[in-house]
Amino acid sequence: MTTTRHASGRGTTFHSSLPCDLKKVRQATTAAAGFLAGEGLSTDELTACELALTEACNNAIQYASEEGQMKPVEIAVTCNPSVVELSVTDHTPGFRFPKSVALPEPESERGRGLFLIHSLMDEADYFRGHAKNTLVLRLSRASPTNRNHETNPRLELAQANRRLVESEQTIRDMAKELCFRSESLSAIFRCSAELGHVNSVEDFAEGLLHDLLDIIFADWFVLRVVSQAGSQLAVLAVSEPLMDLAPLSISPAPESVRSVEIKAALTGLDVYFDQDQPLPADDPLSAVIGMDSQGLVRPLFMGQSLTGTLTLGKADALQPPFTATQLQVVRIFADYLAIQIVNAKFHEERITNRLVSREMEIAKNIQRALLPKSMSPLRNFRLAGFCESAREVGGDFYDVLPLSPDTLLLIVADVMGKGVPAAMFAAVFAATLRGLVLASPGWARQPSLLLSSVNRQMAEELSDVDVFITAQLVFVDVARRELVAASAGHCPLLVGAVHKTEVLAVSPEGIPLGILSDAKFADEIIVLEKDCRILLYTDGLTEARDAQGHFFGQERLTTLFRQSLAKNQTAEQLKQQIATESRRFRSDTIPHDDQAFLILAEENGVAES
Amino acid sequence: MKIKYQENTLHISELSELGAASSCSFRDEVHASLPTDLKMIEIDLSQTVFLDSCGLGALVMLYKTATARNGGIKMRLLNPTPPVQQIFELTRMHRIFEIVKA
Repeated sequence: MTTTRHASGRGTTFHSSLPCDLKKVRQATTAAAGFLAGEGLSTDELTACELALTEACNNAIQYASEEGQMKPVEIAVTCNPSVVELSVTDHTPGFRFPKSVALPEPESERGRGLFLIHSLMDEADYFRGHAKNTLVLRLSRASPTNRNHETNPRLELAQANRRLVESEQTIRDMAKELCFRSESLSAIFRCSAELGHVNSVEDFAEGLLHDLLDIIFADWFVLRVVSQAGSQLAVLAVSEPLMDLAPLSISPAPESVRSVEIKAALTGLDVYFDQDQPLPADDPLSAVIGMDSQGLVRPLFMGQSLTGTLTLGKADALQPPFTATQLQVVRIFADYLAIQIVNAKFHEERITNRLVSREMEIAKNIQRALLPKSMSPLRNFRLAGFCESAREVGGDFYDVLPLSPDTLLLIVADVMGKGVPAAMFAAVFAATLRGLVLASPGWARQPSLLLSSVNRQMAEELSDVDVFITAQLVFVDVARRELVAASAGHCPLLVGAVHKTEVLAVSPEGIPLGILSDAKFADEIIVLEKDCRILLYTDGLTEARDAQGHFFGQERLTTLFRQSLAKNQTAEQLKQQIATESRRFRSDTIPHDDQAFLILAEENGVAES
Repeated sequence: MKIKYQENTLHISELSELGAASSCSFRDEVHASLPTDLKMIEIDLSQTVFLDSCGLGALVMLYKTATARNGGIKMRLLNPTPPVQQIFELTRMHRIFEIVKA
């Protein structure tokens, strides 16, 4: 490498000639920078010139033709008080020097050299010639002064002043950064302290993010969180209440990926938008904040799982982009926010679960309260009832309405479905029936009339929600020693007498309630023999399954009933027997369906046990 | 250049320049010393006074290698000097790299 320098009218020039070898470039450009330092360039100007010159030389060597590799690369640096001119002569085939250069994709390992040259220099011209070309770069100097410092003490003072200004600027920048960092920290501490006082994670996030906007000089934010099902990104907080944004579906479908927020959520990477890469016109964000906004979307992760996205932006694409320090603060805030969102979710779920189980407890108590308490309204007759739900509450129930010292109405019903909805209809059905019987006690003698009346009242509501009810109503008159039964699509009731082997399965005609509003029902009158036993039940009892999937079945129930007649069991004993057998059959597992049954027994000659 | 491996972290320091001439050897040396149980690469840029587009390319390549590894290896750039920081910002690479200032 050879270097020379001389002064001319244009300024002082430094020449260097270096062999076509990448390893020699830095030696030459460092020497050039040394020359420029002597000319009094500022640190920034020096850095820019040294880098631009290095990039130019690297290109000249990398693209040199085979012949050109034998020839040196020529560097000329000319400096005067107002401008620095760098020229590099190469022996490449030459290329079309672009007027402007875009940045390559972030993953690209190449293609930033020309971008740097364009960004660092004020002017660039490329002169193509025969077998050699010259790149001329110019940089205007910040404060044009005569730098002939050997003879001019005033200029030495000016230089010293300039250095002082630069140092002051550096100190100001450092102070600004220090202040910026402490602001970030105090914002996090302040919001943490508020965490116990604000009502919701929304309020907390909103407070924290408004602080973040102030710290990083951003104008707006959108915070989205992953919905419970994990399929959507729903808005949790926005900087402007007017920003009306619908939930976004997290799917790789092309129409979803147009959203920068979904793109960030799917890739797990920050997505930036600015003048060069504006928001897509069909991104829902564009409609709200405009396409000329700039900013970034940061996906929020807690461990490996996505919790949401945080989008921050500036209203004007011409404002300076976020600096590295600002981005670092964004990262800290985002990590912190992700943790708080997950914590809040856990907390809310815990409270909700506690509320739900408390409400179910209340519902269960209400349903228990609906079951009749007094079970021996008739002389010499005993009642025993059993009700078990597959869940906390259910749709099976029984009821006993005493009408006179000699008469009563027995009710067993099964609302299709399980859980709270079934229990609600069961309660409505029971109340409607009680109301009807209270209003016109005479109707109880004809249970078919009660059924058609209840059916008319409830058919519309039931069919609206596709629910139906099967029910069995039995009017018992011990003075006349008869019962009148009516059924709405319910399983048969069993009637028998102690020491008799015959068991009657009574199944009056009728379809379930809630199917046809003008459905007709039939009454069936049965004579009550001495020491009679009556069993009303729901199909949850006969359709219970064992581990192999076999049904408990009506056959087994009839046999149990017949054995009980032979043993002269009381109502209570029969109830225990059926409950035990059913449980044993299911091997003590929770029933799949609700179960209810009601026994009426004439216990004249039965000893109290 | 100094390469130290400790607690699943590869710590690279004492890089005075990362340019066309040094980036090849930087890349090869770092690649050669990537252990299988690596979790993090930390590149200390506090002594790096010069970085050009080739050096940037080498960092991008290392970043891509790291993130493509099983489970993903984190890469952090520590305390870049002002001129190097300026180049990251100019080329927007500060959005890609995690830059940590102590």
